[in-house]
Amino acid sequence: MMKPSMSRRDFIILSTRVMLGAGALLGLGGLVRYFSHEPDQGPPSMFDLGDESSFSNGSRTLRSDIPAMIVNRNGKIAAYSLTCTHLGCTVEEDKESKGFRCPCHGSAFDADGKVLNGPAQDPLKELRVEITGENKLMVYTE
Amino acid sequence: MSCHGDHGQGLTAEWRESYGADYRDCWKSGCHGSDHPGNSFELPQAGVPALTRQGKLARFTNAHELQSYIHEKMPFFPTGFLTTGQSLELAAFILRENETLPDGLILDKTNSSAVSVHNKVTLPEDELPGSLLLGGVLILAAIGLVYRIKFTNAVPRNRPGFLYHLHPPRIPAKQSRFWYTLGTGGLSVFLMLVLLVTGLLEMYYFVPSPNQAAVSISVIKTLVPYGDLVRNLHFWSAQFLVIVMSVHLLRVVLTGAYAPPRRFNYLLGLGLLVLVLLFDFTGYVLRWDEGVQWALVVGTNLIKTIPGIGIGLYRFVMGGAGPGPATLIRFYAWHIFGLTLAVIILVTWHAFRVRRDGGIASAPPNSAESPRWITRFDLVRFEGLAMVIGIIVLLIVSLVVPAPTDQPISSFNNMTGSSQAPWFFLWVQQLLKWGNPFWLGIMVPLAVILLLGLFPYILPNAGKSELGRWLPRGNRAAQVLTVLIFVIILVLTVLGALSSKG
Repeated sequence: MMKPSMSRRDFIILSTRVMLGAGALLGLGGLVRYFSHEPDQGPPSMFDLGDESSFSNGSRTLRSDIPAMIVNRNGKIAAYSLTCTHLGCTVEEDKESKGFRCPCHGSAFDADGKVLNGPAQDPLKELRVEITGENKLMVYTE
Repeated sequence: MSCHGDHGQGLTAEWRESYGADYRDCWKSGCHGSDHPGNSFELPQAGVPALTRQGKLARFTNAHELQSYIHEKMPFFPTGFLTTGQSLELAAFILRENETLPDGLILDKTNSSAVSVHNKVTLPEDELPGSLLLGGVLILAAIGLVYRIKFTNAVPRNRPGFLYHLHPPRIPAKQSRFWYTLGTGGLSVFLMLVLLVTGLLEMYYFVPSPNQAAVSISVIKTLVPYGDLVRNLHFWSAQFLVIVMSVHLLRVVLTGAYAPPRRFNYLLGLGLLVLVLLFDFTGYVLRWDEGVQWALVVGTNLIKTIPGIGIGLYRFVMGGAGPGPATLIRFYAWHIFGLTLAVIILVTWHAFRVRRDGGIASAPPNSAESPRWITRFDLVRFEGLAMVIGIIVLLIVSLVVPAPTDQPISSFNNMTGSSQAPWFFLWVQQLLKWGNPFWLGIMVPLAVILLLGLFPYILPNAGKSELGRWLPRGNRAAQVLTVLIFVIILVLTVLGALSSKG
């Protein structure tokens, strides 16, 4: 018979350590799952803006709840997110240029949301809009 | 259901069209008008809201609110005959129609507040397999640790680390034998550690506001993975702590161990017991559900009966003239930090004094001459084993017996929940049935604590030669009186439990 390379005592000590380690890992796994629940639902991603005819041709409507600018150009409705693409401040409308300025770090955008000057790199996000069968204007932020 | 339409759309014009021409105007037809003969009712002029589809159930956020509303206000006429079970079934039916009832959930009065009316929540996976796996692994580890303890010569080669340094290098075996110390001091510290960790975990979800407290506990219990287990562990550790500390106190008295120089440390221990009772009471109140509101109202009204300072003390405790948001946040602050700080200081002091006064329990005379010693390495191993066994026991109890919950408090003017005090104050509740609340509810408990604290100072103590064993003659009087006090409290507790049940 071959001589065991490990004494019984060492084997017990090792397996006890393995079990304690496994217990700790299981506990850690439980902890990760415990924190996986999110109590908050998060902000809504769908907005019902009512009858689309209230956004007449050429109009620019500010909706601070989304926040977005609803623009009707030649009968085509578009929505631009007012969340700055730099670090998420809400941009303000610049009455003269019809563009937008960010109060936090000075990024400027034109009326179509294109970057005029930084630090923002990307244009204001154009949001998905939809007109339902009942002529309601829906705006989706996601 | 016809008021709310044939599939919950509300009393729409379209739905009314389906009736005969004479019956389409529900406000004029005579069916529901005030002139309708006998026991009639009028439909709300604003119409009947939708239960499904657009704009449904806008006034409710969770299923408990929906169920309470149905229970109180529905059917529209006549109202008030639905049982709690029926209103829960109706709420569940409406949620299922809206596809927001979580799969596999049977709505009851405590989990309903965790269920959103507008968003479908997902229930966590079954926690039992994971818990059993952990329990199994720990049992194997415990068996391994038992074997390890037999290898007494397995002393680490390195210099002793932090954990070892918390212990004396070695103590006489006779001083630390289990049937003498009962291990209750160490067990109390272990339970406090479990309470600290599980309490911290609960803090990540608990919301200390009157509207949200019971709801967030329901969320922990129903929706958070292993949340129910964490809460049960917290609850059971707290209950066991009261019992273990009481046994610790009895052990110290019945072995005469508090004899000088340990008198002062005995007082620190007594202070810790009082703090833990305050901990249990504040934690109990944090549930802010119908199961605790009587205890909160009665327990705090007792303070008012103290002559002179009563009203001021009451307002300090409640943060106002009655139970409200300020009360909850104050109890929360005490429970989370104020009492914790006090207990950490006292436990550290208590443990320091144990070392300073000559080590764990009172040593039997001449024990230092005995050849058998226990090293700090063995002590740490014993404690490790005790902790693993402790966790296994707590796990089993927590999996089998859930911690109590109830539905959120609706109003302090119309209290409906159980009027039974928490079990550790049942004896006081029983006393209160017999007369003056100030003397029986405040002075008697104070006198009990005062008496227990005075015994080492006014009654004879055990002599040095008698220490280290049970029931020394020297402090017989204190032993008899302490046991008497415990028996009376026990009898009152049983009486209180029986009478509130009946």
